[in-house]
Amino acid sequence: MSAADFKEGLIAEIPNLRAFAASLSGSMQLADDLVQDTLLKAWGNAEKFQPGTSLRAWLFTILRNTYYSLYRKRGREVQDSDGTYADRLATHGNQESHLDLADFRKALAKLPEEQREVLIMVGATGLSYEETAEICGVAIGTIKSRVNRARAKLAELLSIGGVDDLGPDRRITAAVQRAGPETVGS
Amino acid sequence: MNLMNADPPEAAPVDSDEDVVLDPRVQESIGRSLKAHYEDLVTAPIPDRFLALLAQLEATERRLSTEDGANERS
Repeated sequence: MSAADFKEGLIAEIPNLRAFAASLSGSMQLADDLVQDTLLKAWGNAEKFQPGTSLRAWLFTILRNTYYSLYRKRGREVQDSDGTYADRLATHGNQESHLDLADFRKALAKLPEEQREVLIMVGATGLSYEETAEICGVAIGTIKSRVNRARAKLAELLSIGGVDDLGPDRRITAAVQRAGPETVGS
Repeated sequence: MNLMNADPPEAAPVDSDEDVVLDPRVQESIGRSLKAHYEDLVTAPIPDRFLALLAQLEATERRLSTEDGANERS
């Protein structure tokens, strides 16, 4: 892979790296520092990347390792001093989402890191369970169990354990109507 | 009245190692929020500093390889 191709690959992954870094660290400022470190490390270790494998998974591995070795403590300090990014980020055009995005982010920030990171990877980044397991260095079963625990905890934090809690939203109501009443109250 | 009634009931969740089994609709709503959260971040404009950094790294590498080439020729 030429340097130019590698560079283009890195540029294409920047949005995902930032989104993952922000989800992990809870701060946009830390996220950008983390992405910068990740890009520098990736560039310096370019020869270790195997073409044909997932560049995203490779970069996420670097970013995650960097976070846990250098940033984790800083992240807590930043959150303590200026609040989480959930409070500060402008949200735009999310009427589509049935849960308020700010509320969801606050709940997400309360999850243990090991649960939050896998939920993001599996649920939003397009990485497979297999890739996520490899990135985290644990078995797939562990990933599945963390995802389940993360979902259960989120449901608890957002108080959407029962179907009735989803009532006010039109899309959910529509989904309930489509699904029929047979599973309600089970 | 409901065309979907012919569907088989929801399969038992495979996550048997967990006590809490979420309603599929709760799972769906969490999934959608998760994607909305991520999408919002992913579509944010990329700060120039990253493109500048990579351009600089590439330029340095080019310069080094040119120098290498020049050294080999001399």
